[in-house]
Amino acid sequence: MDATTPAVAGGFEPRITAFVCNWCTYTGADLAGTSRLQMASNVRIIRLPCTGRIDPMFITKAFERGADGIIVSGCHPADCHYNAGNYHARRRFAIFRELMDFLGVDTGRITFSWVSASEGGKWRDVVNDAVTRVRALGPFTDYRKLVVDPVATATGVVPPEHVGKEVPA
Amino acid sequence: MARIGVFVCHCGENIGRTVDCHGVAEACKDVPGVVHSVDYKYMCSDPGQQMVKNAIAEKGLTGVVVAACSPHMHEKTFRRATAGAGLNPFLCEMANVREHCSWIHEDREKATVKAVDITKTIIEKVKRNVPLNTIRIPVTRRALVIGGGIAGIQAALDIADGGREVILVEKGPSIGGHMSQLSETFPTLDCSQCILTPRMVEVYQHPRIKLYAYSEVESVEGYIGNFKVTVRRKARSVDEDKCNGCGACTQVCPNKKIPSEFDCGLGKRTAIYVPFPQAVPNLPTVDRNKCLLFMNRAKGRPDTCKKCADACAKGAIDFDQQDRLVTEDVGAIVVATGYQLYTIGKDQPKDNLKGYGEYGYGTIPDVIDGLQFERLASASGPTSGKILRPSDGKEPKRIVFLQCIGSRDPQKGMEYCSKICCMYVAKHTMLYHHKVHDGQATVFYMDIRAAGKGYEEFSRRAIEEEGAQYIRGRVSRMWREGDVIKILGFDTLEGEPIEMDADMVVLATAMRPQPGIDALAQKLSVSYDQHGFINEAHPKLRPVETNTAGIFVAGACQAPRDIPDAVAMASATASKVLGLFANEMLEREPTVACVNEANCAGCFHCERVCAYGAVEHKDIKDRAGNVVRVIAYVNPGVCQGCGTCQATCPSKSVELQGFTDEQIWGEIQALGV
Amino acid sequence: MTELRELARRLLSEGTVNAVLGWEEGPRGARPAFVTTPEGADTLIFDHRCVHNLASYLSPRRPHLKRLGKVAMVLKPCDARAVAGLIRETQIPRDKVVLIGVRCGGVITDPDSTAPLTEATVADRCRGCPDREGHLADHTVGTAGPGFAGPSKRAQKIEELAAAPAEKRWAFWQSELEKCVRCHACRQVCPMCYCDRCLADKTQPRWIESSPHARGNMAWHVARAMHLAGRCVDCGECERVCPEGIPLGLITRKIAQVVSERYDFRPSDDPAVPAPVGTYRMDDPQEFIL
Repeated sequence: MDATTPAVAGGFEPRITAFVCNWCTYTGADLAGTSRLQMASNVRIIRLPCTGRIDPMFITKAFERGADGIIVSGCHPADCHYNAGNYHARRRFAIFRELMDFLGVDTGRITFSWVSASEGGKWRDVVNDAVTRVRALGPFTDYRKLVVDPVATATGVVPPEHVGKEVPA
Repeated sequence: MARIGVFVCHCGENIGRTVDCHGVAEACKDVPGVVHSVDYKYMCSDPGQQMVKNAIAEKGLTGVVVAACSPHMHEKTFRRATAGAGLNPFLCEMANVREHCSWIHEDREKATVKAVDITKTIIEKVKRNVPLNTIRIPVTRRALVIGGGIAGIQAALDIADGGREVILVEKGPSIGGHMSQLSETFPTLDCSQCILTPRMVEVYQHPRIKLYAYSEVESVEGYIGNFKVTVRRKARSVDEDKCNGCGACTQVCPNKKIPSEFDCGLGKRTAIYVPFPQAVPNLPTVDRNKCLLFMNRAKGRPDTCKKCADACAKGAIDFDQQDRLVTEDVGAIVVATGYQLYTIGKDQPKDNLKGYGEYGYGTIPDVIDGLQFERLASASGPTSGKILRPSDGKEPKRIVFLQCIGSRDPQKGMEYCSKICCMYVAKHTMLYHHKVHDGQATVFYMDIRAAGKGYEEFSRRAIEEEGAQYIRGRVSRMWREGDVIKILGFDTLEGEPIEMDADMVVLATAMRPQPGIDALAQKLSVSYDQHGFINEAHPKLRPVETNTAGIFVAGACQAPRDIPDAVAMASATASKVLGLFANEMLEREPTVACVNEANCAGCFHCERVCAYGAVEHKDIKDRAGNVVRVIAYVNPGVCQGCGTCQATCPSKSVELQGFTDEQIWGEIQALGV
Repeated sequence: MTELRELARRLLSEGTVNAVLGWEEGPRGARPAFVTTPEGADTLIFDHRCVHNLASYLSPRRPHLKRLGKVAMVLKPCDARAVAGLIRETQIPRDKVVLIGVRCGGVITDPDSTAPLTEATVADRCRGCPDREGHLADHTVGTAGPGFAGPSKRAQKIEELAAAPAEKRWAFWQSELEKCVRCHACRQVCPMCYCDRCLADKTQPRWIESSPHARGNMAWHVARAMHLAGRCVDCGECERVCPEGIPLGLITRKIAQVVSERYDFRPSDDPAVPAPVGTYRMDDPQEFIL
């Protein structure tokens, strides 16, 4: 089953948050649109100026909010609109990825890629691959189970960031 | 409380075909803070934009979300409309439901769900947007050009002709650079000095160019539009105002055996000297390392020789002259410091350069480099244009040129191609043929790279009409036997070794940036590559800008360049500088980083990751004026808005306007289940 | 010890410094000491129980030390790395502190323990530590034992975890992080955690939920590990002070391994050596990027 195949009724559809840079990947995704390249609809893009702007906290927060997978994508080395943001991001996420792996997060849930403004096709592939992979991994219930909040459970007061979340008794 | 207006565009059928636009607008009505949510066929049309403006006025909107195409398409349009209605344009954002949704999905239900998500994400962002105002920076409309070679001359003249003042700093005693040393230039074989000298004089006489020759940039402070440059005017020991350039001093100087830099060591000069007859400014300079008086002073002995001072009718010689520091305010800087050649001697300036022992490390007197050949071929040169061997002054009948010495050779030199050598070697064979009719020129080459207008024709002419023998291959060893240079090489086309005798050998050595370029680059906060060439801001789209705003680069200090390239780059920098100087105030997008002064711990991780040197140190003082803390300050004139500082800041005390943590957090929250 | 006391006395009596920061004998074992008089120098000690990294007192977050003016600090080779970090990150001017390096052959884990220094009691970070004395010091005193060879128990545990499936690692860390009460002792004791306003205390936005539930704990320890990547000097203080006994040293050690393997970086006591995060090489490995 490929990523674009409609899921069987009641089947699991992963939610994937993508953090992408404005100049390469966002524009590459625009090109995919202009070229009418069909792809899975599971990805929600958050636009940043540069991969250098992408903080690991964005990723942990997205997992907290129920994302099953993450995509981080920006300019190829030497193509960064800001010269070096992607190089700094590369070190940051190399470490972050190993940390996540060490803490027991399946790194298949986090996809890093370089997609240039001319690689609409590559963007489609990155999206479809990520969706297929995360779909196979299933819902990231491990992280969602962390929602257990003793304060909320004890007081019945749900902190604002938990609104809309399932809070087990 | 936020009052957000949502405007969903059908884009004709482009969005409407796969996304239920009305449904999206309806769904957004339920989002807290949204007070107005509508859909329309063509939001970017005049009536569409009018809907936005009307809603801002009627509903008192505090933010606008246009769910339509990519922000790269119409963000400017809708921000202009927003501003037209009196709302700050940065309170308007676009939700991309066309390129990122309707065009890439066919399932209407899924596409609609996604379009709602995308729009909600942007709604949460806009709720956290704040009004931003265009940054305006005053611009000092004068330029500094560093380097008085052809690139610096061209840049200075173009900027000055464009009506702006220019300070031209040249470290040598005269402007002109390497081009003044050349005999004739490819591919036209016109005399180099004939085309250059008028430009040099023009610089000297230009009312808007201030020439600081024999000077170097000491320090640079400030940022685009507002640089403060200190220039060290080195002591010439000659009073510029008194000297009339008569040359009497140079004729009486007893120390006449100093190798001339201008003639690449093939000619001699005196200790007080004018580097070449057409020098600009035409002022002599005392070489304090070679002048008898200064050599005696260095040894603590009394002044003896003062022949030049005695000969000077104007009393212009001033042995006690000191270096002077002058400060200039400029708004833009052009770096045009040019190149040097890979040295053929044994001593190399860098560890990775190994030199060429197999070619005698320059110890065989009749093995010279390309610039030395230029001097031999030049009518103004040490041999008055006759091709004569340095060792015995005989005319060489067999001359061999070796290309790619130090270029395309990662083991001993540079991995890059020096670009100009193929052409100047072809030129050299022609010049040789014109001067030594019965001589034979042979060239060892790796490839012929003759990409340029008239270049291929020129190199073909050298081979086909001017009798040069081209052998594809390298020379493995050279040694001297009597007055003959023995050459051992390999012809890679014939696949066999070659032995030949030569009377003279010319090495086409690699182009390298000038010594000291790294120190200058550090003063300017511009980056340079592993070879020392200044990095351009973007290899394709910003070829003459550096990554420091307001600093531009021209000529061979950026990469190997020939004269037309260097001149074209110089004119390009001039057009950039004149563009920058077009207005008194420089306007910049306000999406720059801003430091929270109360929280900044002053660790300066931000400074380390900033590719633009935009982060400065700011002293926080108590009432008594004592510095109590040093924190980061982002210069909005320099910041380009990448936000790497914010992701790096441990306490998030620096915020990129337009992409603040608060905004991104809102977007992530909006995507929650 | 005599050498150390005499040096401290001289620095104080000559007025070179107003205080010497070192260790003394406390009621329950070795503890940090602030000596402000020449006579007080006699209370200073240095032995294998002096585990505390005193560099955290130099952090500008602790103004009481700043008020003392110029101070001297006794430091082990590992502490020197922390001081170098603070100098590198412009937190302390080098000329404001006199550094008294002590030669060190390893310390134990618990400053209150009466156990001798043996293969069994030595702190894990001292196993394989090559430094008997630091390079960043104005004076170096004392003699050092031979030190201890590896293998590090943490390295073994990391290998063991790495060999296990991801679910096992997840379960292990959840059972550990679940214990965290978010007292932030790990932050307070860390010499490299010196921000005036910690990200964990920020509410707008709140990246790290503050109550001690599993989710906030995860975010906190991920953030801490990332902030310390390439900066952690492996002084072991975070793990020592953790009231819940969470093996935080495993995380810092793991990150140090990653940084060492990928970027050939080890914490240095030379302030001029840049940290690996904040710099880059164009040819950094990127096997994980599509």
